[in-house]
Amino acid sequence: MLSRVHKTFKLADIGEGITECEVIRWSVNPPDSIAAFDALCEVQSDKASVEITSPFDGTVKELLVKEGEVARVGSGLCIIEVDEEVAVSLEEDAPSASQQNNASSGLQPSEAKPKEQTPFPTKRRPHPLDPNISPEQQLLLLGRNHANVLATPSVRHFAKQKDVELSLLVPGSGKAGRIEKRDIEAYLQIGISATNTNSATSTTSKDDPAEDAIVEFGRTRWNMYRAMTKSLEIPHFGYSTSLDLTVLHEILPIINSHIPRHYLPTSLHPPHTPAFSPSAIYPQPASPDVPSSGHYTKLTYLPILLKTLSKAMLEWPLFRSSITPSTSTSDKPTLTVRPNADISIALSTPTGLYTPTLQRVNTHSVYSVASQLKHISHLGRQIPSGLTPAEMPKRGGTVTVSNVGGIGAGEGASPVLVPGTGIAIVAIGRAKWIWDVDRGDGSGERRLKVNVSWSADHRVVEGAELVAFIESWRSWVEHPQRLIAEGV
Amino acid sequence: MLRACVFSTWRSHSRKRGLSTAANNTLSPHHSIYVSNSSNPYFNLSLEDWLFRHKNHKEPLLLIYRDVPCVVIGRNQNPWKEVNMVASRTTGVPWIRRRSGGGTVYHDLGNTNFSIHLPRSSFDRHATAQVVLRAVRSLGVDANINDRNDICVGKDKVSGSAYKIVNNRAYHHGTMLISTRLDVLGDLLRSNKPTMETRGVASVRSPVCNLQQYEPSVSHEGFVEAVIDSFRQEYNIEDSTHTVEENVNTLGIDYIHKGMEELPRWDWAFGQTPEFTYNISRTFDWGTVTARIRSKHGIILNCSFELPDGHQSISDDLVQDQSRQLEGQRYGFLDETKEGIQRMMEGPGAEIWQWLKMEMDT
Repeated sequence: MLSRVHKTFKLADIGEGITECEVIRWSVNPPDSIAAFDALCEVQSDKASVEITSPFDGTVKELLVKEGEVARVGSGLCIIEVDEEVAVSLEEDAPSASQQNNASSGLQPSEAKPKEQTPFPTKRRPHPLDPNISPEQQLLLLGRNHANVLATPSVRHFAKQKDVELSLLVPGSGKAGRIEKRDIEAYLQIGISATNTNSATSTTSKDDPAEDAIVEFGRTRWNMYRAMTKSLEIPHFGYSTSLDLTVLHEILPIINSHIPRHYLPTSLHPPHTPAFSPSAIYPQPASPDVPSSGHYTKLTYLPILLKTLSKAMLEWPLFRSSITPSTSTSDKPTLTVRPNADISIALSTPTGLYTPTLQRVNTHSVYSVASQLKHISHLGRQIPSGLTPAEMPKRGGTVTVSNVGGIGAGEGASPVLVPGTGIAIVAIGRAKWIWDVDRGDGSGERRLKVNVSWSADHRVVEGAELVAFIESWRSWVEHPQRLIAEGV
Repeated sequence: MLRACVFSTWRSHSRKRGLSTAANNTLSPHHSIYVSNSSNPYFNLSLEDWLFRHKNHKEPLLLIYRDVPCVVIGRNQNPWKEVNMVASRTTGVPWIRRRSGGGTVYHDLGNTNFSIHLPRSSFDRHATAQVVLRAVRSLGVDANINDRNDICVGKDKVSGSAYKIVNNRAYHHGTMLISTRLDVLGDLLRSNKPTMETRGVASVRSPVCNLQQYEPSVSHEGFVEAVIDSFRQEYNIEDSTHTVEENVNTLGIDYIHKGMEELPRWDWAFGQTPEFTYNISRTFDWGTVTARIRSKHGIILNCSFELPDGHQSISDDLVQDQSRQLEGQRYGFLDETKEGIQRMMEGPGAEIWQWLKMEMDT
């Protein structure tokens, strides 16, 4: 039940007692689409030049102040059309991604627990519609000004008839938070079932563990809910197999002992300079700048699997493509093929599930991929999340990788695709040693294997194509010696 | 000593108050205090922007630099209004549009620029001005801050400031006149076009003065040390000072490189000019002509003419034609290869044309 809402984006308080700004430049024009954090406009106030970015994803509908004109703080700058169900604060807060997550996760502390179902969160404030709390408490919780109650006269009349306090239902499910008749009916439903249970039992409320509790969806879980509902329109098919990592296992120690210096933690840098160095006659090309969150001491299989996957993706343009986003559903869809392999990684963090993207994996070395993974997990583990649009570009990868093996010793999985994120997803299990009877001239051999479970969009990918693509990947993984000839 | 410093450039478990230079490694934006050894204004402005965009946005940063003589206009200013183009050309002193707001300033080696970068949430221009004020006072000059947040001694400004604010970061940068050629400053910034009306920020002219006038012992090096000390105190910084050279390594940084290329290009330098109108008149042998030029983003939107009554030598059609030819042309950079324009330059309207060209060149 998503509705297109027009949000007026207002000029926020810039601070320093500034009351108005001149709009210097707009970076967008109607009907451009815009993503959160995209450049919106630049304004100027006496000696300060301010760059303003968009707080939402959406479409620019109207510019309210022309270039060269002055906008007062608090007045509207532009109108952006957004897909939103619930009305949110209308002011620009110029937050970083971490601040935005802070705003939402601050309200739902139950989200701080990873992957746990919290059936009875005792510490959170009760849901406003929780019938166990008194109307006074409800009003306090909502903290709403009566003037903010939006409802048509007929809805108000209905509420009065049913003896329902409208301010308890703010925000409603209608446009701009308007309360609709269905909100009143829903409220009455909960009230009825509550009075039923209340009349059956006596006094006790929150302390009684047998009561059901209504828990709101946190921001990321809500996004997941909506995304997964949308994903129902994708016909998935799955395919599982296992990859033999034994050869990789043998070469891993060698790769680990040659991690380039700029990826190693500084504490591991040699304490004194060598007596002679290759840079003596001419400076080496500058080594890239690596933040400490991207340092590591040893590689895991994941960066190698990602690199080999990118090799297979180069051989298979289909897996470097995504369905071209289009505004009209009646047009025949097209595929946008990218020259490079972009792979999204499913990242489970304390604040929720994210899918940051590693861009152009084919142009990065395994060491570089490992560093990026480390950095991304570091950002994701921050509370609030430190992931920014740089790590999560609007256009995600064409293939998504979920390393569930890191969490549990699963044997198989059926990952789910989300529209707009790619055409295939793979869940990588946990590597384990098994006895492979087919090897070693019939006597069998101990091999290290990992299960990989793929799901793909059957509107775009044929079964045989997926299998052939996976075999192409397998060839790189099980014969990494090929990389030498290719020149990784 | 230099080699040992190279390894300490990554993180702050480095020596207090020491100097470190990245000899072989790339320049990192993660330090806290930078002093540029380059006097190339294009490099320094791009370096400043690079540090602004790449440093961890929660940590304070200080950059100090000096430029060879140049005029620096604010992001949204009109160069034709602010800069005396003729003086700029004859002296060879270029003008550059910077990325922060505010007015026009003159840089030379007697002027030291400071730039303080902070998280947006804790940015306070008064506090940052105080940091610099304390430094100046510690040099023995009785300075104070005026209501426009500029550092002054008595009634004279010794420093001008400007700011830039983005999503999660902001900076306050400014000049400090130590021993600047104030006479050259005056010539270059005297543009004198009262009939040019421009949207955008006008410079607020104030009398200026060098610090050395009040305290002859003040020097660039002394000021640099004083600002660094004041900055360290205010934000509790223990990182060592990092000097930046303009060399193969730093010029190799893509962002800096691209920034340096962008600054002198027409699109940035002229194309960011807000809308303005310019009313000019000239008396020829045959009468007085008034022209009204309207321009936006450096392009002439239109130019209308008022001719003397009863003029014979210039026809209305010719004048209309001239108006049309000017539309869409870059102000001050008429495309003389265009056939229509060549016609204008040679025909009977040539006098008018020459005059317009001259006016746009000043």
